[in-house]
Amino acid sequence: MTGRLSVSHVALALLGVAIVIAVWQGTIAWYGLARIVLPTPFEVASTLAHLFASRSFWHDVLVSLREFLLGYAIGGVLGVLVGTILGERPTARMTVGPVIEALRFIVPFAWIPLTVLWFGTSLTGKVVLVAYAVFFVMVVTTARSIVTVDPTLTRVGTMLGMGPAGIALKVHLRAAAPGIASGAKAAAALGWIAVVAAEYIGASAGLGVMITNASMSLATATVIAGMIVIGIIGATVSWLVGRTTAAWLNY
Amino acid sequence: MPELTAAYRQTAGSSRAAMGDGSAEGLVFERISHTYVAANGSTPVLDDVSFSVGPGQVACVVGPSGCGKSTLLSLAAGLMRPTSGVTRWRGKPVEPGTNPDLGMAFQQPGLFPWMTVRQNVAVGLTTRGAARSDARRQADEMLATVGLTGFGDAYPNQLSGGMAQRVGIARALALRPKLLLMDEPFASVDAFTRLKLQAEFKALLKLDRPTVLFVTHDVSEAILLGDIIVVMSARPAKVEKIIPIERGDRDRAGPGYARKMTEALRALGVETDLSHD
Ligand SMILES: Nc1ncnc2c1ncn2[C@@H]1O[C@H](COP(=O)(O)OP(=O)(O)OP(=O)(O)O)[C@@H](O)[C@H]1O
Ligand SMILES: [Mg+2]
Repeated sequence: MTGRLSVSHVALALLGVAIVIAVWQGTIAWYGLARIVLPTPFEVASTLAHLFASRSFWHDVLVSLREFLLGYAIGGVLGVLVGTILGERPTARMTVGPVIEALRFIVPFAWIPLTVLWFGTSLTGKVVLVAYAVFFVMVVTTARSIVTVDPTLTRVGTMLGMGPAGIALKVHLRAAAPGIASGAKAAAALGWIAVVAAEYIGASAGLGVMITNASMSLATATVIAGMIVIGIIGATVSWLVGRTTAAWLNY
Repeated sequence: MPELTAAYRQTAGSSRAAMGDGSAEGLVFERISHTYVAANGSTPVLDDVSFSVGPGQVACVVGPSGCGKSTLLSLAAGLMRPTSGVTRWRGKPVEPGTNPDLGMAFQQPGLFPWMTVRQNVAVGLTTRGAARSDARRQADEMLATVGLTGFGDAYPNQLSGGMAQRVGIARALALRPKLLLMDEPFASVDAFTRLKLQAEFKALLKLDRPTVLFVTHDVSEAILLGDIIVVMSARPAKVEKIIPIERGDRDRAGPGYARKMTEALRALGVETDLSHD
């Protein structure tokens, strides 16, 4: 997939967008929908243009991105760390494994009311939530990737004279890197979703807040424009993570 | 230990008398039994195996598939502990962990997929303290020896099975080990390349005179390379026979070769007389 984008690829992608816009426009015409229910693609496009020119919009984007990046970094580092320990140590797996399995199914969104109670509408609450979401994805994928490393590689490491620490870091963690990278990509998507969801419920700034405010003042075009921005940022972040890791796992 | 084989008594006994510090003992298996225990049952693999390989000696191990030859190598390498018995290297019991004298070529090559071929061969040298540039040069030399000049920058997923196996061999040989364990190293190369590799290997052995345990399926290879052939029985494996090989036996056209061949195949339980039809 690293090759140049061919003309037909671009054409097909544009065709997909065109179909969505046509269905959208068609739905408005067919049901005779009011603008307040569903604005036209053109109105949403011009709202987007207005947003891009406004300062408060970029402030909201930065707030959301900052919450995301902080949470992603904290959750990612802790997740890989704990995942490595669980992958290396069967006793740790047996002790902590069940707790993690149970917590993993308390989805991040279930924690939102509690984080609002504990941290109010501050940055901390969102960062904690993103870190939580990212942490569990990374713990599970890291531990699983390490456990499934080809045992011959471990034997080779011992034969070559690497100690247990050397084998854990230079063989296991390195061999697990492709699995960890795909986990990092999934975690980025989940973390970004968590930011927006948390902002919908309790926040003072950010894209989620911008959208809920617009919704309350019946500015439907702004709501949809905000949703599009969220989608674009999410896709970009995921693409960047995939791209960075692919360049590094190029073998 | 009344059940020790004659060969064990000979080599171990005489060398102990000679040195006394154990360094002249080479590799000794003393009443080794091993059983793999898994959730779905246990598999007895080795049953009271004793023999020794004197320092600088080459022992070729032959035996039916699945009898425990790779298991024997893992025990010699200290990659695991036997269920009972002791393995000694230079007089000291082999403990799980790293043995600085060891070089091993595995049955599955086990190359690190994220490293180039050259890095795969060099990494053992740098781990053991060699300078990067020296390691690189030695790796390239060893790659040339196994016929892989020009593949130093390739990644393992770009190699054929036989090429990957040769990288594994180069990685083991580059360490210039005192104890060399090889698990069917030439199994997946063509007959012509194999002959060349066997000749190169023999020449390398002359340089350092390591103690070698060499697993093979090919009895003619065992006669060509070995000082002794250890024939193992089916699982759970015992030592069926130890066949000493003399210099003269390696002449494929000579009577010694045919005699050793027949002896080994008989010990393996193979019917060799195909002359009647
Ligand atoms: N880790 C393991 N756990 C359980 N059983 C094992 C394990 N490794 C090997 N075995 C079993 O032990 C027996 C001997 O295995 P081993 O690999 O030593 O045989 P081998 O003589 O090297 O065979 P081959 O000639 O086919 O390479 C086999 O029956 C195998 O199924
Ligand atoms: Mg084997």
